[in-house]
Amino acid sequence: MDLNLSPEDRAFRDQARAWFQRNVPRAELKTLEERRAWHRTMYDAGYVGMGWPTEYGGRGATPMQQAIAADEMARANAPAPINGLGVGFIGPTIIIHGTPEQKQRYLRKILTAEEMWCQLYSEPNSGSDLASLRTRAEDRGDHFLVNGQKIWTSGGHIADWGILLARSDPGVAKHKGISCFLFDMRQPGVEVRPLKQITGSSEFNEVFMTNARAEKRDLIGRLGQGWEIAQTTLGFERGGNSMARVTRYASAFDRLVDAAKKIERGGKPLLEDPVVRAKLGNVYAEMEVQRYAALRVLSALQKGASPGAASSITKLSYSEFEKRYYELCLEILGPYGQVTDGGLEETTLDVDSSSGVRSSWAYAFLWARAGTIYSGSSEIQKNVIGERVLGLPKEIRADRVAKA
Amino acid sequence: MDFSFSSDQQLLKNSARAFLDEHVKPAQVRLLWDDPRGESEALWKEMAQLGWLGLALPEDAGGSALGLVETAILQEELGRAACPSPYLSTVLAAMAIDRFGSPAQKSRWLPAVAGGGARATVALMERALDWSPQSIETRAEERGGKVALSGVKQFVPWAHVADVILVPALSGSTPAVYVVEASAPGVSVTPLTTLDPGTRVAQVTLDGAAVAAEAKLPADALAFLLQRGAVGAAAEMLGAARRCLDMAVEYAKVREQFGQPIGSFQAIRHKCAEMLLEVENSHAATYYAAWALASGAEDGALAASVAKSYVSDASRKVCGDAIQVHGGIGFTWEYDLHLYFKRAKALEPLYGDAEHHRELIVRRVAS
Repeated sequence: MDLNLSPEDRAFRDQARAWFQRNVPRAELKTLEERRAWHRTMYDAGYVGMGWPTEYGGRGATPMQQAIAADEMARANAPAPINGLGVGFIGPTIIIHGTPEQKQRYLRKILTAEEMWCQLYSEPNSGSDLASLRTRAEDRGDHFLVNGQKIWTSGGHIADWGILLARSDPGVAKHKGISCFLFDMRQPGVEVRPLKQITGSSEFNEVFMTNARAEKRDLIGRLGQGWEIAQTTLGFERGGNSMARVTRYASAFDRLVDAAKKIERGGKPLLEDPVVRAKLGNVYAEMEVQRYAALRVLSALQKGASPGAASSITKLSYSEFEKRYYELCLEILGPYGQVTDGGLEETTLDVDSSSGVRSSWAYAFLWARAGTIYSGSSEIQKNVIGERVLGLPKEIRADRVAKA
Repeated sequence: MDFSFSSDQQLLKNSARAFLDEHVKPAQVRLLWDDPRGESEALWKEMAQLGWLGLALPEDAGGSALGLVETAILQEELGRAACPSPYLSTVLAAMAIDRFGSPAQKSRWLPAVAGGGARATVALMERALDWSPQSIETRAEERGGKVALSGVKQFVPWAHVADVILVPALSGSTPAVYVVEASAPGVSVTPLTTLDPGTRVAQVTLDGAAVAAEAKLPADALAFLLQRGAVGAAAEMLGAARRCLDMAVEYAKVREQFGQPIGSFQAIRHKCAEMLLEVENSHAATYYAAWALASGAEDGALAASVAKSYVSDASRKVCGDAIQVHGGIGFTWEYDLHLYFKRAKALEPLYGDAEHHRELIVRRVAS
């Protein structure tokens, strides 16, 4: 056991730290084009898609180096790269399952964010039970005809392409009849409507597909392999960013302490209130434990371990923590924590919460509710942990009984 | 960066597990619960022979010169076995003497501890139930070349079997940690009966107990003891929690109700998943802190407080949930779950409770 960075990793960290200090944009990036330009700057410097193999435009970086770069990005309060789903898991999915033509056509433009990507998985009636999805992809000889509705499509309004799960064979067991496509979002028959969330903002969309086309060449893997492909790649979303996430929590903690010095209760700063101190100590301990756990996962990744079902522990842990964290922040800050505009400078958040949006305590508090729902709800994660990590017996499910 | 155990560390863990599974079965633990002394001389001698008592002590004292990570590994296994033993308090006191003591103190106590001939403890608590130096009420007064100690120490682990007790006291307004032989005149020990008969504690009364003027460690030893004690206790609590999790999962696989194993019900499965999450986080917290203190990382003291406060809460929850998963059988004296449940609970107030460590955290990060 040795938690020191290796000399190479330390050198890499120093280099990344210096680069971000020098290059981080001073002004807020307002338009997509400005964010794309910043993304491109980071890509050219080698800080986007670092884990991708060099032959596809990445740098084949180790998990540790990827985590260090993400951490330095968070430390510098740098705007996140765009096309996160594309770089984070759609590209890797194409690398693992795609044809040479698909790799040639799509990968580089994912990295450079010349083409923006979204994920077309969830449906109004298929949330946790994703495999029950009903969007149809009918084989029409030279193409697939796509009809259906998707929901919770983040970035759908700016996406050029989407990775789509659709039912290509309604006649077989539900997990077997799903196929995975690369799907053109800029075609007639695709309508994207923003979904207004409890935050008041619209990071997500609904996507309606009416007689839209998926080309034959854009099928990923085999027909009917979609569920399997989705399973192997969902894990990409978890694990690697944990350190950077904790760095962002830590910068919010510093803001919280600043506010607790300024805000008074009963004529004394909140920070002198023993109850507030106990809460601060508690949440700081929890935050540090998230950091230690992230290091442990990173150490396993670094050794070439595949996190597999254990990544469910990471996801469950940080998303539930984040909810408790911002609940506690708002509890401590009282009414100041609920101000979304016009508050005192010293009592506002103004750091990137996990959504990547520059924002208020109230926003972070609201956004935290999403984490325990998206990408496999906490309940689904606990099922996975129970069945696949602890080896507990599977539950008897109506849909399994029906097929048996 | 490597968070996993080295092969030597893994070997130590495996051999400790095998030894304790063989020699400290629940039946043995129960015998020691009923024993007036509460621990076994034979077991202590075996621990010495296995090199456990001198694990972190220098080689010239008969030790192995290993670090806090190795000690934590053993402590986790001892907690897993709910082993009644003055191991933690003895090793802690010996590490402080090794770090801060004079050559004479070291040669007097370290080989004796490593060889199994001496037990030691630390008297960190008083009436104030606060571990800060400014709350110490015990006085040290110089009397003709000697020091007389007066005060009452509360909840001192294993004081009734200790040969030497480390006693924080104030001389004027200066704190120091005095090295007091338990047999010295003026030292009296009153054992208490508490929730966990495997973690014995006693009140230690010092009524002008005389020690040599040089028989003391500097005030820095106080923080050292609290931090390393906190990590040791966290490791034992982690072990107890892991044992409870394992028992709950095994039981949930075989216990049937409504014609199915209860582990197939989400109410049980989700509870087990939450328990695993807490155990894995506790592992990360405990070993991070052990490593950080051992390697002199700048956040060592902070990490010790994080570990003690986090693992206290987590282990209580995990061990308690294990009883819940078991249902009625888990509430019986005959079933072994309460051995571990009680061990974890007993360690909560020792070496700084969660509340104290949270305050220490805030002092470090929010001043």
